[in-house]
Amino acid sequence: MAGDETLRNVPDEAPSEPAPPPDHAAPAVAPAPRPRRPWREALAEPPEVPIEVPRSRLAAQSRRDFLLYAAGVAATAAGAWWLLPDRTKARLLPGPARDRLDTLAARAGLTREQRERALDRALTFDDDVAEALYTKNRRVRTYGRSEVTPLPNNYDGQTPGPEYLPTWSLRVSGLASGRLEHLTIGDLLGRFAHHEQVTRLVCVEGWSAIAWWGGIRFADFLAAFPPAPSTRWAALRSAVNLDFAGNSDPYYVSIDLETARHPQTLLATHQGGRPLTLAHGAPLRLLAPMKLGLKNIKAVTDVAYTAQEPPDYWSQRGYSKYDGL
Amino acid sequence: MPIRPQEPDRSHEPVRVVAKHHALVRWSHWVNVPLLFGLIATGLSIYWAAPVFVHPRDPATHSRDYLADIGAAIARGLGDRGGEPRFWIYDHLSLGPRQLAAALRLHWALAYLFMVNGTLYLIGLVAGGGWRALLPRLSDARDALAMIRFYLGVVPMAILHRPWPHPPVRSKYNALQRAAYFSMPLAGLLVVLSGWAMHKPVQLGWLERLFVSYDIARIVHFACMLVLASFIVPHVVLVVADGWDTFRSMVVGWSTRVRGEEHGRG
Repeated sequence: MAGDETLRNVPDEAPSEPAPPPDHAAPAVAPAPRPRRPWREALAEPPEVPIEVPRSRLAAQSRRDFLLYAAGVAATAAGAWWLLPDRTKARLLPGPARDRLDTLAARAGLTREQRERALDRALTFDDDVAEALYTKNRRVRTYGRSEVTPLPNNYDGQTPGPEYLPTWSLRVSGLASGRLEHLTIGDLLGRFAHHEQVTRLVCVEGWSAIAWWGGIRFADFLAAFPPAPSTRWAALRSAVNLDFAGNSDPYYVSIDLETARHPQTLLATHQGGRPLTLAHGAPLRLLAPMKLGLKNIKAVTDVAYTAQEPPDYWSQRGYSKYDGL
Repeated sequence: MPIRPQEPDRSHEPVRVVAKHHALVRWSHWVNVPLLFGLIATGLSIYWAAPVFVHPRDPATHSRDYLADIGAAIARGLGDRGGEPRFWIYDHLSLGPRQLAAALRLHWALAYLFMVNGTLYLIGLVAGGGWRALLPRLSDARDALAMIRFYLGVVPMAILHRPWPHPPVRSKYNALQRAAYFSMPLAGLLVVLSGWAMHKPVQLGWLERLFVSYDIARIVHFACMLVLASFIVPHVVLVVADGWDTFRSMVVGWSTRVRGEEHGRG
């Protein structure tokens, strides 16, 4: 309690301080209105304090800063030009000037291959971020069946006709047993539990569709036919392998086994409650809704487990490899 | 220079200056120029692959993309026969059509730089105390109307040779500037968040839900781009109109305009 006593006594014990001048002593400047709320004062803009600097020092500083910025502009312009795709460059600057710039860049050691490598590194960084964000237990958002939207067939090539279905089988290699399995659709449907989910399929182009899928879990399939211990990847190939003119255009994707083991990764056999149509990958397609649509390969004919990352159709054409959503 | 005009050797003479912008704010401001330019150009190339704003396919032009229709109208208006008229906007403002893979790679690379740059800007804003000048005030609505009235009248009054005084400004920015400069970081934040929501709608599912759905995140992302882009034109016009000191202060950080003597308008 003594402390309280002291505190209370403080004003009385400080009479030595000079008394403040009386308020009515006509100040030269009108006093600023006292802020009623301290937080508003804390948020208020502080007054600008002018300082006096010799003109020569200001000039030197300006010169230095402007030269720095000009160097930055030049470096950015050169770097940006170098990174542009060839077709864009050709459109922006038709004629020999472009060749001269390319020669200049090559002489400075900036080749086209290096540009691709630089861009790939940027993409690898984004892929690494995607892989770091991936969590095994994170479920993909599911929807009600009433929320289903039309699912376009985005493939512009030829799709095999119905005569191919009876000949279909799934070839599985890279197994722990060392065997090569050939499975019919009856083998798969009879052996594994059927699972259904309504999830969104997101295309790399930006469109998406909510669809009702049914099929077997890839995880169940992996448990029944375990891959060799050293494997980390699955290479999947498709029966949809002709372009619009009927020329061979095989489609293949790589998928990491961690994604394959996700409970929402299906070897889908049904869509909208009916067996898959040929346009949507009959009789069996991959459905990995935590990956871009381009990984969701249709009409899978071949699953090969590998230790090294297998080639991927779209990553060979400049797109990302990991494609995790 | 408002100090003392025309004297022989003035190099040691003191000049009154005020600190305007923190170095990080200045650098990140200028770095934003190529970044936003590149993000918009690559973003439009990505947009080309699957337009957001579409109508049923037109049997004559085969177009379902409003941006392609606008492009065709511009090409017609300009009499431009250089390329596919539908792709006018994509040909002139983006990397071009059919560049999705390269556009995505560049867009993500630039997006990471944009996020780093935005962080540096915010650090500069806090370190330099500049954030206080951006906070909206209660008086802003009335002052903004006064500024709009001023801007609307400035050209006609100049033609009529009538005096048209600038409304008084007691702070670093006028109300319109404050609204614009405050909404830019917000649009930047929103464009980044909506970008992540559609880039990783599964792993960042909470973010996708924040935007209700993937498709709405795309619309927000596009709208933020329009907000950021539509800021650029008046911003540049007003800085040019306001003069050298305003431009220079964004390079060197100080201004010779001491508040109360003149009003900045950039």
